Amino acid sequence: MSQNPDIPRNSQGRTKVFASPKAALDGLADGAVVLIGGFEGLGVPESLLKALLDRGTSNLTCICQGAWTSLSDGQSVGLDRLASAGQISKLIAPLPFLTGDLRGGSGQSGVEARWSLGSLEIEAVPQGVLAERLRAGGAGLGGIFLPTAAGGLVREGRENREVRQFDGQDHVFYPALRADFALLRAAAADPVGNLVYRGAQRNWNPVMAMAATVSIAEVDEILDLGGLDPELVISPGIFVNRVVRTN
Amino acid sequence: MPDRLESDYMARRAGREIRSGDVVALGPGIPSLILDLVPGDVAAAWVLSHTGILIRGSGDARTDLASETHQAAGSKGGSSLSFTDTTAMVHGGHVDTAVIETGWVTFGGDFGTGITAGFSTPGPVVELAACAKRVIAIMRHTRPDGSSAFIESSQAPPDGLGCISLLITDVAVLAIEGGQVTVQELAPGWTFGQVAAMTGVPLQTAPGIKEMSFDQPQPPTKPQPRQKVYSSGLEAVRDLPDGAVVNIDGFAGPGGMPHYLMASLRDHGAKELTLISNTAGITRVVNFGTPPGKQAIDHSILVDNHQVKKAISSYPVSPSPNTPTSFELALQRGEVELEVVPQGTLAERIRAGGAGVAAFYTPTGVGTLLAEGKETRTIDGKEYVLEMALKADYCLIRGHKADTLGNVVYKGTSRNFNPIMATSAKITIVEVDEIVDPGVLGPEEIVTPGVYVDRIVLRPADFSPYD
Repeated sequence: MSQNPDIPRNSQGRTKVFASPKAALDGLADGAVVLIGGFEGLGVPESLLKALLDRGTSNLTCICQGAWTSLSDGQSVGLDRLASAGQISKLIAPLPFLTGDLRGGSGQSGVEARWSLGSLEIEAVPQGVLAERLRAGGAGLGGIFLPTAAGGLVREGRENREVRQFDGQDHVFYPALRADFALLRAAAADPVGNLVYRGAQRNWNPVMAMAATVSIAEVDEILDLGGLDPELVISPGIFVNRVVRTN
Repeated sequence: MPDRLESDYMARRAGREIRSGDVVALGPGIPSLILDLVPGDVAAAWVLSHTGILIRGSGDARTDLASETHQAAGSKGGSSLSFTDTTAMVHGGHVDTAVIETGWVTFGGDFGTGITAGFSTPGPVVELAACAKRVIAIMRHTRPDGSSAFIESSQAPPDGLGCISLLITDVAVLAIEGGQVTVQELAPGWTFGQVAAMTGVPLQTAPGIKEMSFDQPQPPTKPQPRQKVYSSGLEAVRDLPDGAVVNIDGFAGPGGMPHYLMASLRDHGAKELTLISNTAGITRVVNFGTPPGKQAIDHSILVDNHQVKKAISSYPVSPSPNTPTSFELALQRGEVELEVVPQGTLAERIRAGGAGVAAFYTPTGVGTLLAEGKETRTIDGKEYVLEMALKADYCLIRGHKADTLGNVVYKGTSRNFNPIMATSAKITIVEVDEIVDPGVLGPEEIVTPGVYVDRIVLRPADFSPYD
């Protein structure tokens, strides 16, 4: 994945705290590869997604669990409205979209509609493969051999994958994955970007924080330095470039 | 035709398959309804939800999944996990039973998620099916067009091959084994003939075929025995055999080392050990504030007792040639072997061992002696060395507090290698300052889930880390 060295990682001097979700998206340009945290409406950076919708940035490659509007809250942006607005050209996800049946018969989602028209490319990937590829990207590894074997291989085409045996078991080579930006949701931050999460918010957010050139976290509260217990910090501030309060 | 079962009844039937102490992973859809069940054996199992919450017990768990808070997990000893944590648990082979919802299943136990033609929706299901020891599928017996969802073979590519051993549908429970499909149970009111007539594969009938039952086992009325808590360090290492590979946690100094378990291992006397550890014992020569006249307990006590065959370490010798360590002297005498591994590579290799990653490419060591004899590869213009996963038979770690389920929290730098080492051994033994009841350690606070911890010992209050 591309990495643009010109992106300002921290444009406000020493503090990582930005005034608004809009300001926090500074530098996110057309064509960017963007990681988006969350799962089924849990731990989704809704304010940052809304700002991205307003910003109108296009030709995005989005890597996330999938695109749905939150099932519990019809008001949330999810990724689907970005897709409907034509801002996403490619989606890499384990559960790309929910079909009409599963959405309570409310018709096609924006992603499904765009995909059907051929204007949005979808790469469906097993969840664990995505998690390990992002972790490898965040940890500086070049690639990994994973056991997610049989079924995945049939789908991907064995001939398209490098398969090697370790301890008598087939393993598949996957290259590490990194992105330009990560949009994250956490419970609280401090001014140097340390993050704590609440419950299921933890899902994709910590690994995505590691794997992007610029990681932006939206949080409920920003505490003073020392306000977070060091034993409880999940994402150390070195992985987080910008912090903003959720709307 | 009799009524088909509703989703929650299929979930309740699946819940009966859960055994006390199992690690159970639930896929999205109907399997997540299992969290609604009245606690029975479910309460005494570890349940990994598809949202990344590790639940111990049940109750209000599912309702809470939507709130991000998940107090129920905390009240029973569960913890909040990231998807890298859950992936490691699944890929690493730590899941006993997976319950998944499928779109179709074949005679041979292949399955597809099969929601929309044209592409797969693998979600977390592909790796669950490939890596769990037992996979149970839930699905509607027929598709929306009335055709059988249980089929001879599929045109569509599968999401898993031969992995389903039990299938729970809205009309029957079917066992898939050795090229035979046996109807074991029927939904209330259904006959074998009715089920066979709507199924796309030939079915056998089990000798004891019966009506499906949905009752959950009752929760134990007496408190669970403290099965993981051992009375002493010696008791906890008693079955550690000669020739074992042993992870021993710790960095270098007094913090993070399981001194009590190390002393217990010395007293136990197992020989020919391979130690995976950051150092091979340097505290004794570096001191790190050891009181005058005392000697720190470190790996040297095992080396001096002639129990060590090999060390896999990143810091195997003394920082000063004037104060060689016991291991160093034994190495010079040719009594022990050494594999030197850079510290970060050691951490990655141990993590890989626990997370089911067979091997990985790291930039560390390229062009040095450490890369000699190893495969190198250029990826995106950068050169990497292939390093292999490390696994152990036993693991000795130092925690601060554990609950009786084996959930562990650490203190300060004692965290160092502990959390990854705990995942990569067959038997993990933790030494702690305090043992508490489940629920005392919060779900956001737990670092090592009890899934990874087999034995707990209390470090005696009067135990001294110095000889």
